[in-house]
Amino acid sequence: MQKSMVQQVMVQQVGTVTAEDGAGHAKAKSSLMRSPQFSSFVILVVLLVVFAVADGNFLSPLNISNMMAFLPELGIIALGMTLLLTAGEFDLSVGAVFALAPVVVMLLVQNAGVDIGVALLAGLLLCIAIGAINGVIVTKIGISSFLVTLSMLLIVRGAALYITQGFPLKSWDQPGFFVTLLAGSFNIGAFRFYTSLWWFIGLSLLAVYVLRYAKLGNWISAIGSNRNAAVARGVPADAVKIWLFIATSVLAGLAGMISAFRISAASPVAGTGYELEVIAMVVVGGTALTGGRGTILGTIVGALMLRAIRNGIVLVGVPGLAYNIFVGVIILAMLILHALLQKNAARS
Amino acid sequence: MMQEVLRLQNLQKSFGSVRALKNASLTLKEGEVVALLGDNGAGKSTLIKAISGVFPIDRGDIYVRGEKVSIRSTREAMDLGIETIHQDTSLAPDLSIARNLFLGREPVNLKWLGVFAPLDLAKLRDAASALLKRVGISKKLDADALVSTLSGGERQSIAISRAMQFAAKVIILDEPTNNLGVEETHGVLRFVKEMRAAGHSVLLITHNIHHVFEVADRIVVMRRGEIVAEQTVADTDLLTVESLITGADLSALMKRAQ
Ligand SMILES: Nc1ncnc2c1ncn2[C@@H]1O[C@H](COP(=O)(O)OP(=O)(O)OP(=O)(O)O)[C@@H](O)[C@H]1O
Ligand SMILES: [Mg+2]
Repeated sequence: MQKSMVQQVMVQQVGTVTAEDGAGHAKAKSSLMRSPQFSSFVILVVLLVVFAVADGNFLSPLNISNMMAFLPELGIIALGMTLLLTAGEFDLSVGAVFALAPVVVMLLVQNAGVDIGVALLAGLLLCIAIGAINGVIVTKIGISSFLVTLSMLLIVRGAALYITQGFPLKSWDQPGFFVTLLAGSFNIGAFRFYTSLWWFIGLSLLAVYVLRYAKLGNWISAIGSNRNAAVARGVPADAVKIWLFIATSVLAGLAGMISAFRISAASPVAGTGYELEVIAMVVVGGTALTGGRGTILGTIVGALMLRAIRNGIVLVGVPGLAYNIFVGVIILAMLILHALLQKNAARS
Repeated sequence: MMQEVLRLQNLQKSFGSVRALKNASLTLKEGEVVALLGDNGAGKSTLIKAISGVFPIDRGDIYVRGEKVSIRSTREAMDLGIETIHQDTSLAPDLSIARNLFLGREPVNLKWLGVFAPLDLAKLRDAASALLKRVGISKKLDADALVSTLSGGERQSIAISRAMQFAAKVIILDEPTNNLGVEETHGVLRFVKEMRAAGHSVLLITHNIHHVFEVADRIVVMRRGEIVAEQTVADTDLLTVESLITGADLSALMKRAQ
């Protein structure tokens, strides 16, 4: 009873934001039913119910707190990736940046005695530089983002390993303003949340606004949909893409900082494989890998879904080594569902 | 008399070893419709892409209202009052009609926010609906419909109505009646005449010579990257134009056959 009400409220919330530019309500409703983020949302609810029934601990405060601690870290990267994919590019170097940024920041503070604020600024500049290099090579030299960011993955990961000699840094023992800002925690009843959740919520709202309501979002979708058409209308496609690469890199670095501060340690192998997990979240949510169609709400649903799956299948007792089989199968099923819905929509 | 709006002087453009434009010169006057003719690969699209800033020219000068300009981007061409409808579809299929109509020139609130400024969605939709009505597209189109759901002809009509709205000085149409049905074709030709009546200049690329005689004042013929003939429509006829395009003297052939 209570659950169904929660579901209704959530459906309505998704609905109001999904309604194409606030168009008529009836029309919005029917297109909502067919929209990819809606089908993802339904599947998320089903998964949550299945896990909740299968294991009583799934919805326990401790477990929910756990999921909410992890969610923002990949979710924040996924927001940037969604915008980038909508513009027709993607970034495989995010997992490596996730590791390198905190490694550099913490090394500067721990070994070089640099002030934490200055070190964070250096980390930020590093992320901007990585994103800018990705973007400039992709747009100005015209090499596919797959190849460019794959190379960047190796360079960045290699750098993280080299400067740490492959070892995790010694644990972080300096609380302070920035640590609280990025990884502070607070309790609501029996739940324990981290400030990173606020970051995720704030950045999500910003991303929804940019993609759906701002001039920039119109440009991003147009570039991914038909780059030549956008350029012919005077849209600065290359500049937009370069800035999106930068934003994605910075968000990956931010997520890395949040994670490192939360666990009080930076490791050169942190975030290994995150690039694919993030891309999976984004496409499971309904954003087209080919560009032009992006949905931030879908990405949030996708991020929740992958988090819930990873968490749930452990609780349900799937052997650890078999996780990825399930994750892969569920992702594939989602993509097939999206494709079928797309076909149906085109026919009607 | 009629003021010169656009003058091209000795434009040259090569793609690797392909010399797509050899020495093209052309003048367009106020309120004049010029038809640019030529066989496939003659260099027509290349010429108009150079004017509209799609790519830079290798050599040559462009004058707008007597002033020498350099057009380095599509935005600069648009700011100079040159609107182009390209042959290869110029719409983004995943965007709505309304968003396509205003792509690159979106009406926004809070302008100071720059690219982050929120779209004025109400204005966007109203202006789009008004525009769709004005072009007289046969089927009633919803401004919120995605362009990917439209037919080729409908897309073409959308692209044309987009060029109309910004009251450009020079409107360039690259084969605008391709893929269009009878009614839409007449809509386009009517639009060209309207534009001329309103004092705009139109550069029309087409393979349909009948259309040329219906709307154009002057014809310019290209062959292998060069402009090979220029005539006023009143002083020429269909056969002459056809022979100019192909390079074979058709009227002589016809006479011999008789
Ligand atoms: N981007 C490009 N790269 C290389 N060659 C090109 C390019 N664009 C055009 N060309 C070549 O330049 C020549 C002129 O092409 P253009 O598109 O201007 O012809 P056109 O007169 O518009 O023909 P059509 O009537 O078929 O549209 C052709 O030989 C074409 O192959
Ligand atoms: Mg052409």
